[in-house]
Parts: sequence; structure tokens; C-alpha cells
Amino acid sequence: MAREILPVADRRQVRAYARRLTLKYPRRLAAALALHALAAVAGLVVPWQLGALVEDVERGVAVNVALFAAGVAGFMLLQGVLVRYAVLASARLGEKVLAELREEFVERVLALPLSTVERAGAGDLLTRTSRDVDSLSRTVRHAVPETLIAAVTFVITIGAIVLVSPLLMLPMLLAAPLMYFSTRWYLHRARDGYLRENAAYAEMTEGLAETVEGARAVEALGLERRRRERADRDIAGSFAAERYTLGLRTLWFPSVELGYMVPVVATLLAGGFLHSGGWVTLAQVTSAVLYAQQLVDPLDRFLMWVDELQVGGASMARLLGVANVPEDREPAGGRPADERLSADQVRYAYREGRDVLHGVSLTVRPGERLAVVGPSGAGKSTLGRLLAGIHGPRAGTVTVGGVPLVELPPAELRGHVALVTQEHHVFKGTLRDNLLIARPGADEEAVRDALAAVDALDWALGLPDGLDTVVGSGGLTVSPAHAQQLALARLVLADPHTLVLDEATSLIDPRAARNLERSLAAVLDGRTVIAIAHRLHTAHDADRVAVVEDGRITELGSHDELVAAGGSYAALWQSWHGAPADPAPVRAST
Amino acid sequence: MRSLPDADPGTPDIRSPFRYLWWNARRQRRALLGGIAFATAWWLAQALVPAAIGMGVDALRVKDTGALLGWSAILLGLGLVQAFTGIMRHRFAVYNWLSAAYRTVQLTTRQAARLGATLSKRLSTGEVVSVGNSDIAHIGGSMDILLRASGAVMAIVTVTVILVSTSPVLGLMVLIGVPVMTAAVAPLLRPLHRRQKRQRDLAGELSTRSADIVAGLRVLRGIGGEQVFAERYREESQRVRHAGVGVARVESLLEGAQIVLPGLLIALVTSVGAAFAVDDRITVGQLVAFYAYAVFLIAPMRTITEAADRLTKGHVAARRVVRILSIEPEVTGGTGSAAGGVLRDSYSGVTLQPGTLTALAAARPEDAIEIADRLGRYSTGDVTFGSTDLAALPMAEVRSRILVADNGARLFSGPLREELDVRGTAPRERIDRALRAACAEDIVETLPGGLDAEVAEAGREFSGGQQQRLRLARALLADPEVLILVEPTSAVDAHTEARVAGRLAAARAGRTTLVCTTSPLVLDRTDHVFYVEDGRVAAEGGHRDLLAACPAYAAAVTRGET
Repeated sequence: MAREILPVADRRQVRAYARRLTLKYPRRLAAALALHALAAVAGLVVPWQLGALVEDVERGVAVNVALFAAGVAGFMLLQGVLVRYAVLASARLGEKVLAELREEFVERVLALPLSTVERAGAGDLLTRTSRDVDSLSRTVRHAVPETLIAAVTFVITIGAIVLVSPLLMLPMLLAAPLMYFSTRWYLHRARDGYLRENAAYAEMTEGLAETVEGARAVEALGLERRRRERADRDIAGSFAAERYTLGLRTLWFPSVELGYMVPVVATLLAGGFLHSGGWVTLAQVTSAVLYAQQLVDPLDRFLMWVDELQVGGASMARLLGVANVPEDREPAGGRPADERLSADQVRYAYREGRDVLHGVSLTVRPGERLAVVGPSGAGKSTLGRLLAGIHGPRAGTVTVGGVPLVELPPAELRGHVALVTQEHHVFKGTLRDNLLIARPGADEEAVRDALAAVDALDWALGLPDGLDTVVGSGGLTVSPAHAQQLALARLVLADPHTLVLDEATSLIDPRAARNLERSLAAVLDGRTVIAIAHRLHTAHDADRVAVVEDGRITELGSHDELVAAGGSYAALWQSWHGAPADPAPVRAST
Repeated sequence: MRSLPDADPGTPDIRSPFRYLWWNARRQRRALLGGIAFATAWWLAQALVPAAIGMGVDALRVKDTGALLGWSAILLGLGLVQAFTGIMRHRFAVYNWLSAAYRTVQLTTRQAARLGATLSKRLSTGEVVSVGNSDIAHIGGSMDILLRASGAVMAIVTVTVILVSTSPVLGLMVLIGVPVMTAAVAPLLRPLHRRQKRQRDLAGELSTRSADIVAGLRVLRGIGGEQVFAERYREESQRVRHAGVGVARVESLLEGAQIVLPGLLIALVTSVGAAFAVDDRITVGQLVAFYAYAVFLIAPMRTITEAADRLTKGHVAARRVVRILSIEPEVTGGTGSAAGGVLRDSYSGVTLQPGTLTALAAARPEDAIEIADRLGRYSTGDVTFGSTDLAALPMAEVRSRILVADNGARLFSGPLREELDVRGTAPRERIDRALRAACAEDIVETLPGGLDAEVAEAGREFSGGQQQRLRLARALLADPEVLILVEPTSAVDAHTEARVAGRLAAARAGRTTLVCTTSPLVLDRTDHVFYVEDGRVAAEGGHRDLLAACPAYAAAVTRGET
């Protein structure tokens, strides 16, 4: 399972939220409950009629069978009609509440602080959006109405027994301790048991999907046996988890099922003694016994769904938790004087005590193209994120026009500086939609110009429906290279003053990447571009090159200056270019 | 309860979906028959309750205390039998469900592992997803329902027999009424299923949308568009809501019908019983029993409806599973053997000398992939290995001796050490060497737990460059006789690429290696370079010689750089 990175709401928050939701539409709720109550009442008439009939037959009173038949049929019909509208009313309410729940959740996700979005891998959030929303849907659609209906029906049936004869209510209580304690025992363990069961089952199906999706790698690396063993191990894990909950049910089910029968037997016995003593009539006993038997249905419903309520509660806690992420920036109200981006003595650490940047200072001139190169793990991407205002530095400052980036509200920050990384994403929707998110009001010409700027216009127009082609999940698959082009086109549309490109063209064929960067540069003339470079030609084409090594800027200057200086950049350039800058490697003979 | 899974899932009957289900049933016939026995006993215990209640009411009527005690005891006894058989039935049901589901997982996993590359070519992602998400559950469900459904049929038969023996007319009514009432709700099922499908489809789209938002959240938070997406999500969410209400409209009708229709039968049976009771043909206790029988019959009727539904779903799921299980590998091997030596693809002319580090630079990347696939025997071609035709070797031997490592080869989830050292035999020191050669030490260092860290979600938490370096380390650790690397450094930066290129020759010293790349940093460190145009070797030689002698090559690898 994905690591839990985002917070989880506590019990109190979940309760308060559930209460607010329940009471948000009091009239609809009352109407649904009233319909269910009426349906339950209608369902109780027939046993009462039957009890009366038994009494009449017994006493030899003339009985109108036709009237009896009409009564039974009529009340069954009434119950059916009432149930229909009751179910519909509660489904309407449930769907409405559910829609609000998930919409609010997505809004919270969309408002997550920038630094959280960057840090929290998609895993945790994705689990919440898919599994937790699904599980909560199940709860709201089924568990909540079923338990409510069961509770209403139960109360009304008990009420009917009291009405028939308060004395015959007493045998019912016999089963209560058995039911109560066994259910409490069960519920105490059930939630964790089922969560574990679901997790183990998911692990198994994910393992299967991995094997099937990665079948070629399985074959290439000779992993057949390993995948078989993994599957068998996952199955064994799932079986163990299933066995645990089955064990819980093995104790609980019989206690409950016995609990259903005890009241029937007790009512019959008690009724017998009370009847022989003349305390109650035959009609009363008959109705009470039938009611006692009828109690099974609501109890069964209630117990079947009650643990699902707990699972829903756990999901709700995780959905609400997203709102508990603290804001990562406090807008201070400063207004940047110009577009000069400057880092001063910047330090940053992902883990305490382990700085990845050691006092980096850098001033980027407006309109300049700066390339950042260096080995992986040197801190290039971290520097990029700081320069884009995603994270605030641990020490030192990153400012634009004299104002720290982390003191700008996100919407304003975007107007100054934007970051494109190699992690591209194509949204589900038309190609046009994919671009318009950057500037919703942009006209056709602006969209086309943006595509042309990243060398993607011909490709886009060549698609089956041109710009209206549906892409992304479920639509046309866009290659990683084209996805990067789209990401850059979005940036062109968004048109911030400063662009930070973190290996933004790494997935594009090297030769095409160079053309793209050149046409992009033409469009972005006057804009500041910081390119964390993957290919050396990017550095070659830039105004200045910064070499980052081990969390420090070790070389800074134009391409020619650095080549002339003969440092590590020069060495790399020479070897890339084929000149003998370093000793030729030892070769085996061919 | 025997532990699952079975060590050997057996050889399935895949001639048709039905035969597959039948084969599953036979594999677990003892659990199935045992479960059916308990389910039948469970239903019968319930079916006899009305009779006992009726007798109890009669005893009560005549104030026969002894009889009342006796029937109460019988009722309690039925309760005990019900509790016991109920849980046993449930245990068997779960066991049968799991047996069939697990067996299907085992068979699919084994088949996927056996098919390898063929499967990736022949199966859409959607099909893969549905096997894991729903098919195994439906196959399990079709076994599980057999228990309750068989018992339900027995229960209906028993009640009918009891009723017929009391009154043939009543019995006949129930006998005709039950199927008629069951069938009467059938017209509602089709629209219900249609609406449910629509609702499921829309809900599926909605969760794709939210997954899409999460996956692209960086973009949205980075350059805006949150409002657009919030709005779009809300629209789709409302559509799901209305579809849900649409389902509820039919579902609630069905719920109502399932009360009204049996209700009519109850009314009929009870009224006839009342008439009999008035005429003294039956006792009032029997009348109460009649009523209770009619009410009881609702449950087994519902079970039979459910069974029809589950078996249909199981059949659909089995069809997909059978389809996967009947795929055969596209490329098969022979039975010959080869001493090894020069590996040569005669169509392109690419030739790998033993013990050298060779490079393949193709003007079109697709050409390199095709050649790599032929050399690794993922596709057929005229390839020789030493003096032997590669096609004559057994597939397992080809795979263990020649490894094609491409960028599509994913990392699997599990402890990092196991995922890197796929053969599971490398000592720590060799793992470190491979990590160093692939410049991947820093990745392991920053992981909490280092080599023991769990790789989650197929390594998706690693960046593209990190995944590529880990994949390279994995390929180097596998240490095959011939290693074919396809674009092994395309996602890493130039500094790192230069380091990897420098360390590769040492890591593969004495072994045969082919690198498909157009990066001059890597090409410069290889022994011999083949330049391929239109699928065939256009020039060959050392990197620097080719740079000087072949302008097309120079253009291809320096990307038009001057």
C-alpha cells in the first residue's frame, strides 16, 4: 500500500462532519424516514389481522374471508408502494449528499499547497481519491440507508409488540444481552480485520496486474518462478486475512442467529403460560410470535451493514484529512518591484541535518537564458523548485523584485514564475482543453501559436480530429515526447515572466529537442528562462551556464568562458564533442 | 479447512467458459458438495420453523402445556441447527469463493509468466484491469452461489411437499405462484441492469477524472486551471448523481414489487387457509403456518434470482479468463544447443563479437528496437549464435543467455534488493558494483532503509532517470552472456551519462554487450559502432573514425551540432 503522507482527520472531526451532512437537509431526511416508518407500519398489519382471524375462528365468530383477503392484499400493496417511495427518497438524498462529499473533496485536493503536491507522491492521494471515495460511496448508498431503515423498522416492530401486549414484550429482552455482547465483541475486531482483508486482496490483484502488464520483463529477466511465488504468497496472505474475519464471523453469526430464534421461542412459551392464565388472548400471542419472527429482517439488515459504517468512517477520515494540510505560505502583501529573480545564500534540506544545497547565490537577469547542468543528485532540481517558489529555502532567500517568492499567493506567483518538469501529464479531454487550462480565455490563434512554438502544430493538426481530438486516459495515447511539447505549449500560453524548465525536453528525440528549444526561444524572447539541462546543446545555446555540483554552484559563465576555463564543464563538452579531452578508455581488441 | 492456495492449480479445461467453470467446480467438488449439504440443511431448518410455530399455536390454543413445551423445544432445536448449519454453510461458501478466485489468479499469473512478451502484444490494458478487478470475484461468486441456490431449491420443494400433503389446492397454488412471481419481476431486471451499467460507466469515468486531476495536480497547481477542473468534476459528479437516482427509480420499483408480488401470494395462500380454517378443515395453527410458509418462500425465491445473475456474471468473467488462458506464445524455441560465440543478425548485418562492447546507432530509433528484438528472439529473424541458428535453441536458454533490457521493462514492487538482484544470488559487494556502474548509488542512499526499502507501485515514486538507472543496475546484475541495452541513458543527464558510459566497459569486461544509443558520450566509450540506416548497417568502425569518415553518422549523433 502507498505510504500515508497526508494527514487523517480525527474521530471528532469525522463525527462533526457526518452530523453536519446528516442534518443539512432536515426536511428530505424527515420525509424519507417518515415513508420508511409508514411502510414498516403497513407491514405489521397483516400479522395483526391474522391474530384477530385466529381468535375469531377459535371463538366461532363468523369470518368474512373475502374481506380478510382484501385486507391482506391491500396492506401488502400499500407497503410495497410506500417502500418504493421510501427507497427512492432516501436514494435521492443519499446521491445528493454523496455528490457534495466528493465534490468538496476534489476542491480540497485542488487547493493543496504547492509544496505538499510536489512532495507527496501521487500514491497516497490517488488511493484516497479512488478507494476511499468508492468505499464511502458504498457506505452512503447502502450502509447508511439500510441501517436507518433497519433501525426504524426495528423500533416500530417493537412498538407494535408493546401495543399488542406490553407483557409479551418481556421475552424479547432475553436475546438482548447475547446479541449485544457478541456484536460488540465482533465490531471491536471487525474494522481492522476487514481493512487488512481488503489490503491483502488488493495486494494480490495488484501483483497479478503487475505480472500481466510487465509480462515481457518477466520473460526477459526469467522472473517466471518469482512471479508465481509472489502470487502464491499474496494468495496465502489474502487467505490468512480472510480466515481471520471468517473466524470472527464463525463466533458471531451463530450467536446472532440464535438470538433471532430465542425471542420467538420465548414469546411462544410465555404466551402459552399467559394465555392459560387468561392474561392474554390467542390473537395477542399469535401476533406477538409473528412479530418476533418478523424482527429478524431489520436485525439482520442492521448487523450486515453496521461494520460497513465503520469502514466508511475510516475512509471519511482520510478524505477529510486532506483539508488538514497546513498552508505552506503566508502572503505578506509585498509587490515585486521588477522581474529580477535572485537567490541569496540558499540552503535546503529534505531531511533535517542533511542539506542538499549549501549556500547557493545566484542572480538571474531579466530576459536571460540560464542553463543549469550537473550530475544527478547534485541539487539542480531542488534549486529549480526553490527558484520557482515551490518550496521556501531553509536559510537564505529567493526573491523576485525584492519580494520573497513564498510570500506571494499562488495565483500571483504563477504570473511571475512557472515550473515545467520532465513529469508531464496529459489530461483526459480534447487537445485544446489541455492547453486552455493555462489561459482559459485564449482564442484559436493563440492556441495554434503556442503549438507552433513547440513544433507541435503539424502533429496536432494531423490528429484524427485536430485540436478536438480526445486525448489522455481513455482517449488517444499521446507519446511522452508529445506530452512534453504540450506541457511547454501550456507554458507559452500561461506566459509567465520567468520559466523554470527542469529537463523539460528530456523525452523528446535529441535532434527534435534542439529544434524545439530554438523555436521556443524565439517565442520566449524577452522572458527569463532557467533550463535545467539534460543535453549539452541546451547549455551551448544558453547565455550563461551554471554548473551545480554537490549542492554548490562550482562554475558560472557563458559556454565559451567555461570551455576556456578548462573545468569539469569543459571536460564534459570535449568528450561529448569527440575531441580528446580526457585519456581514451582502455579498449578490448575487436 | 484446508489452506489455500494449492501448490498446483492444475490444468484447466479452456474449451469454453462454461467448461472452465465446470472444471473449477470439479476441482473443489468436495468443498462444494459439503457446502451444498450444509446449505440444504440450513434452508430446511428454516423451512420447518413455520410448521413448529403452527403446532405451538395449536398446543397453546388447547392449553396443552406438554405439547407447547415440546414444540418450543423443537423450535429452539431448529434454531440451534440453523445457527450451526448457517455458519458451516457460510464457511464453505467463503472457502469455495476463495478457491475458485485464487485458482484463477494462479492460472492467470502462470499463463502471463509463460507467455511473456506475447501477452503484452495481445492483451489490452482494459482486459488486464478487469481480470484483477472483477473477473476473479465473479468467478468466485458463481461457485459461492451454487451452495445457497441448491439449498433454496430444496427448501422450495420441501415447503411445496408439506403444503401439498395438507391441501393439494394450496400446494398447487404455491407451486405455480412461486415461479410466476419470480418471473414477474424479470421485466424490471433488464432496465435495471442497463441503468446500473450506465451509472457504473459514469462513475468509472468520474474516478478516471479524479485520478487524472491527482496525476496532473502539479501542472494544475503550477500553471492554473483548478477552477476549470473543479467545475468539470462537479458537472460529471452531478451526472453520476442523476444516473444513481435513475438506478434507484427502477431499484425501488423492484423493491416494491418484491413486496407486492409475494404479498399477493401470501394473501391468496392465507385467505384460502382462512377459508379452510373456518370450515375446520385445518387448525388455526396450520393457518398460521401457511402464512409463515408464504412469507418464508420470499427468501429462497430471491436467492434463485440472485443465482441467475451471478452465474451470468461468472460466465462473462470466465470467457475473458479463457481467452487469456488460450493464448499461445508467438515465438517458440527448438531443442538444440549452442556453444555461443558471435551473435549475428543477417538482415541488418549487426554482428556482436564475444567479449566486446558494441554500439548500434540507428538513424531511426525503431530500427534499433527491431534489431534488438531479433537478436533477443522476441521476433523471428535469421539470427545465428556461434555456428547455430538461434531459433534452434530452447526459449529458456535464449532468455537466460541473451538479455534485452529496454526502457519498457518495468521495476516490480518488492524489496529493492530482490528487485535488482533478480537471480537472487549476488553478494552485497556485487550489488554495490552494479549500482556504481549504473550511477545509482545515490538513489539507494537516500532511500529510508537503503537496499531493504520497499519499491512501491512499480517504482513510480522514482523519477524517470532514477528508474532508468535502477533498470540498468538490474540488467548488469543479471550478468548474462550477451546483454543488449536499448537506450539505457536516454533519461539521465549528460554528467551522469558520461559516468555510466565510462563504467559500462569495466562492468561488462569479458562479456558481450550491445548498446543501442545515439549519444556521443556513450558511443565514444565503445569498441565498435554499427551505424544503421533503413534497417541495415550503413557504416561501421570506431566512433571517432566514423565521425570523421561518415557525415550521416556525425549528423545523427551530434544532432546537427557544429
